[in-house]
Amino acid sequence: MATVQVSEAEKVYILHGVRDDLRVDGRGCEDYRHMEIETDMVSNTDGSAKVTLGHTDVLVGVKAEMGKPRPMVPDEGYLEFFVDCSANATPEFEGRGGDELGMELSNTLYKVFNNRYSVDLKSLCISPGEHCWVLYVDVLLLQCDGNLFDAISVAIKAALFNTKIPKVHISEDEEGGKEIELSDDPYDCMRLNVENVPCIVTLCKVGHRHVVDATLQEKACSVASLIISVTHKGTVTCVRKVGGGSLDPESIFEMTETGKRVGKALHAPLMALLQEEESLGKKRQKVGFLG
Amino acid sequence: MLKSKTFVKKTRSGGIMKIVREHYLRDDIWCGSEVCTECKQEETVLQKDACIESNLCSFAHYLLPDTNIVLSQIDILEDPLIKNVIILQTVLQEVRHRSAPIYKRLKDILHDKEKHFYTFTNEHHRETYIEREQGESANDRNDRAIRISTKWYSDHLNNTPTDKRLKVVLLTNDRGNKEKAEESGLLTYRCEEYVKSLIANPELVDRLALTNDDKNEITSSKVLFPEHLPLSRIQSGIKSGTFQQGTFRASRDNYLEATVFVHGEGDDSTEVLIQGLQNLNRAVHQDLVAVEILPLDQWVAPSSVVLQDEGPKEDDVTEEEEAELKSGPSGAASRKPTGRVVGIIKRNWRPFCGMLFLSQIKEATRHLFTPADRRIPRIRIETRQAATLAGQRIMVAIDGWPKHSRYPNGHFVRSLGSAGDKETETEVLLLEHDVPHQDFSQAVLSFLPKMPWNITEEDMAVREDLRNLTVCSVDPPGCTDIDDALHCRDLPNGNQEVGVHIADVSHFIRPGNAMDLEAANRGTTVYLTGRRIDMVPELLSSNLCSLRSSVERLAFSCIWEINDKAEIVKTRFTKSVINSKASLTYAEAQMRIDDANMNDDTTKSLRGLNRLAKILKKRRIEKGALTLSSPEVRFHIDSETHDPIDLQTKELKETNSMVEEFMLLANISVAQKIYDEFSECALLRKHPAPPPSNYDILNKAAKSKDMVIHTDSAKALADSLDAAQVDGFPYFNTLLRILATRCMMQAVYFCSGMDSDFHHYGLASPIYTHFTSPIRRYSDIIVHRLLAVAIGADSTYPDLMDKHKQSALCNNLNYRHKMAQYAQRASVAYHTQLFFKSRGILNEEGFILFVRKNAIIVLIPKFGLEGTVFFENKDKPSPKLIFNEEAPSLTVEGHSFNMFDKVKVTISLDASNVQHQKIRMSLVEPVVRLLFQTQSLCNYRDPMVVNFHEVMN
Repeated sequence: MATVQVSEAEKVYILHGVRDDLRVDGRGCEDYRHMEIETDMVSNTDGSAKVTLGHTDVLVGVKAEMGKPRPMVPDEGYLEFFVDCSANATPEFEGRGGDELGMELSNTLYKVFNNRYSVDLKSLCISPGEHCWVLYVDVLLLQCDGNLFDAISVAIKAALFNTKIPKVHISEDEEGGKEIELSDDPYDCMRLNVENVPCIVTLCKVGHRHVVDATLQEKACSVASLIISVTHKGTVTCVRKVGGGSLDPESIFEMTETGKRVGKALHAPLMALLQEEESLGKKRQKVGFLG
Repeated sequence: MLKSKTFVKKTRSGGIMKIVREHYLRDDIWCGSEVCTECKQEETVLQKDACIESNLCSFAHYLLPDTNIVLSQIDILEDPLIKNVIILQTVLQEVRHRSAPIYKRLKDILHDKEKHFYTFTNEHHRETYIEREQGESANDRNDRAIRISTKWYSDHLNNTPTDKRLKVVLLTNDRGNKEKAEESGLLTYRCEEYVKSLIANPELVDRLALTNDDKNEITSSKVLFPEHLPLSRIQSGIKSGTFQQGTFRASRDNYLEATVFVHGEGDDSTEVLIQGLQNLNRAVHQDLVAVEILPLDQWVAPSSVVLQDEGPKEDDVTEEEEAELKSGPSGAASRKPTGRVVGIIKRNWRPFCGMLFLSQIKEATRHLFTPADRRIPRIRIETRQAATLAGQRIMVAIDGWPKHSRYPNGHFVRSLGSAGDKETETEVLLLEHDVPHQDFSQAVLSFLPKMPWNITEEDMAVREDLRNLTVCSVDPPGCTDIDDALHCRDLPNGNQEVGVHIADVSHFIRPGNAMDLEAANRGTTVYLTGRRIDMVPELLSSNLCSLRSSVERLAFSCIWEINDKAEIVKTRFTKSVINSKASLTYAEAQMRIDDANMNDDTTKSLRGLNRLAKILKKRRIEKGALTLSSPEVRFHIDSETHDPIDLQTKELKETNSMVEEFMLLANISVAQKIYDEFSECALLRKHPAPPPSNYDILNKAAKSKDMVIHTDSAKALADSLDAAQVDGFPYFNTLLRILATRCMMQAVYFCSGMDSDFHHYGLASPIYTHFTSPIRRYSDIIVHRLLAVAIGADSTYPDLMDKHKQSALCNNLNYRHKMAQYAQRASVAYHTQLFFKSRGILNEEGFILFVRKNAIIVLIPKFGLEGTVFFENKDKPSPKLIFNEEAPSLTVEGHSFNMFDKVKVTISLDASNVQHQKIRMSLVEPVVRLLFQTQSLCNYRDPMVVNFHEVMN
């Protein structure tokens, strides 16, 4: 992870600020930085979104491909994650530098998203045991300025919302031979229900308190953080602790409560925003990467 | 402005892929009209005074057809009357997607300056580009794009000064599209409406293809044929194996019978027999069809009846005929897999040549058209100029074949000229055999060397100078494209040096240029009686490449050192320059050899060649090469009228076989060389051994004379043919050889990398190719190029080394060769008719070659003519016919006819039917009570008549 050097004096300054619910950039402990979302960015994916959080910049593309269902769950499709830590994001990612982080991120994403409670995997099934849709979720880190998990999760949710899977139907002849037919209307496509897709809220323990959406400086002051994935109803679906330090049970409880509250508050405007963007249709002025 | 086009498609492996294409919109696409002042175009295509006189549109207008109009009414658009037409890019793309031949024709029109056809790239025009909307089908989108563009044109042209104002007329047959167009205020007509309103040329109506609406009027609602299955059902059926896919081949002799050639894996292909109108189910010769194999108990044997569709009659009459057909031989052994056509995968319709069969009703506008090719059904067309067209050779295109119509519906395309006219007849047979015979285009001619042409210093530097050798050529009389010359001289060591010098055509025709492509497409020069259709322009074929005497010519030489026993000691190949000392005919060369007084170098050389050739031939025959026979005829053509004045069977002299022997030797040597050098991409020629069942007819024939023919190997066959003699019947052996020729397979070109069997059965050679006639065969040009690369005389190019491209080329060459042979035979047949026309009635002796269920086929050796004598007649009661399939023999009213029986027939030209002139043959001896031989056909056209030289070499 990208790191910054923070002197002792700076640390004290940050710690004291957090204690008084006033962070270096003026936010409160439970506030996010400014966030920008745009969907349908990459035309040759089936769904895509770009999220900018502070200076953190993440692009997510979803591609649907046909595959064979996993033998244990023949009537479900599945998701595959790949996180590419571009060397553009930070020089440390050069060469194989980003691989470890990429692995860590994608492992977490599997845990959070690839289950039937988060995404309606049954709707991805084409014919049980034979064909299903496999959603390849590719995450590209364009710039790292802390709080990657939250930004990635929001981007994935937006990209899944944006995903249009071409409709196929299976025709069967007398002999039982199956043939996959593709509708010739490009508008004839399936959308995913993203209602239950969780968002990740990362809480950093700074001093005795915890903050959401930590900047790199705050992160340097923290010994441990908690990753909590929360659905729109406030249900916690996954909790992970990262960082070297330890957390006492009481603060874990407190942090989970905060996570639920913040997560719930994050979902509502996100969905509203996505729907608004969708309703604009083709008239929407695209910002793209240069905007 | 940038847009992106997105679509999803299924990949071959079954995956689904999203494809995004960038699509740029421009604002500098001009309208192409002369009247327009806004557009900054440099050239205009559409005229100011675009006037097609019409009752509907009395004003100047441009036409804008939609896709279906172009697809179905291309014949109309091709008419010189139709000018100033806007072809939208949308239409062009759709046409390209749906029919390659029509796309090509449309492109040709667009290139024709006289036609004033303009392509408007509406898909890239900023104002006319539209995106597909939600819930809109691709077709609807295209229709909308066409309407938007029409609207744009109307508005655009409205900006011009009023006195010059032009309108745009949208032509569409689609009702929905028409309504929508009218709603938005566009001028729209159906194609029929518009064409019928044209004042200048009412005949154009005949060329209208019949559309769905019209079909209903014509026919009764009675459903005659089972419905064709939709393509999706066919495809899944083929996948699961219930249906077979194959090429439909109608029978020449029996219109109710056909075979479907099912292509299997590799060489494993089968033929499925189809019998009866219902089972044939509207398939036309050469269509790609899906067939269902009937259960085993419904399998039948091919009937040996000769049946021809006798013009228009009630539909139910055919049922009787079918019953007759079914009563054919039911021996279980002769049964073949039988099936029925369930659907058509791809129609292979082309315009057909033929003649109009006038309706009996005088005022009728619907007539039947009889194609020249007997395998094509009659076609019903609508015309108002029947009286003019009667007696003319015309071309007709099929539009469709509804399930309640006995005949397919079609429309008149063009007239070729009056029947019987030599020009017309030649045109017909060239068209019918798909022989490209247009004049060479400017592009092709531009690659000819500039005249006067001389051999340059550079040429001399890389070539061996063989000008001092006594080279001469021996060819048939009147030959102007001499591609081979020979020499023979003694070497100091007692051996002889023999050289075969072949015209170096590949020096002039460079790979990939227009001339090369044209030659590759033509594949071969076609020799008709009295006319030659060249493969390469005449300057090359008759001058620069032709190895004429006393001029210096470039050659590709194959030079052997041969010892006294005619064994090759050394072989070498070189590019050379030669100067032929004499161009002789076979007869002249023979005379020189025989005349003891002549002792010049040329004659000595010829004698040496002749001596060696005899040894070579003997050795070849010992190895099992076949000498078969076929009746070949040659006409003496009057130089003024070009009418045949005499006819004689070709006579083979010793010198013919002398030249042939050395050509074979050169071909074999070259084949070995190029195969050694390029084992993957050598172009070779093979002649597969025929399957044993092919010899059935030969065995039966021999048995009838108590003889046995061994067919296990070429050698055995050759020996037993030699031994088969009947005292007092010298022609028997020839007849047997004629039959043996028909048992043979066709020799074919192939690419060595795509096949493993190289054997040439007829020549008993393990490897063979064509090297010696590059002026008239494209295969030889390729072989020349390969050999030139092999000896380092020329550079290679990618296509030469690509075995798949080579293989595709071989397929074309094989096809062109086959068609050229058919065209040649058809030309001979036509000239035979002319000959008999001038000769009147003749009595000639002939032999029975085949016995059929209701007819015998007679060969007249004197003319090499084959004809069918029928013993049945539709109008009279049938005589008593007993057909014995095993012998085979046919007993007519107590007299039995066997194979090889000698008969006497009267030959005359039956000109009573202008439609198809034919040579009438009727039996004189033996006299059979009740003579029913009503019609007989000159049979050169029959593909069964195979010429020995064509098959083998």
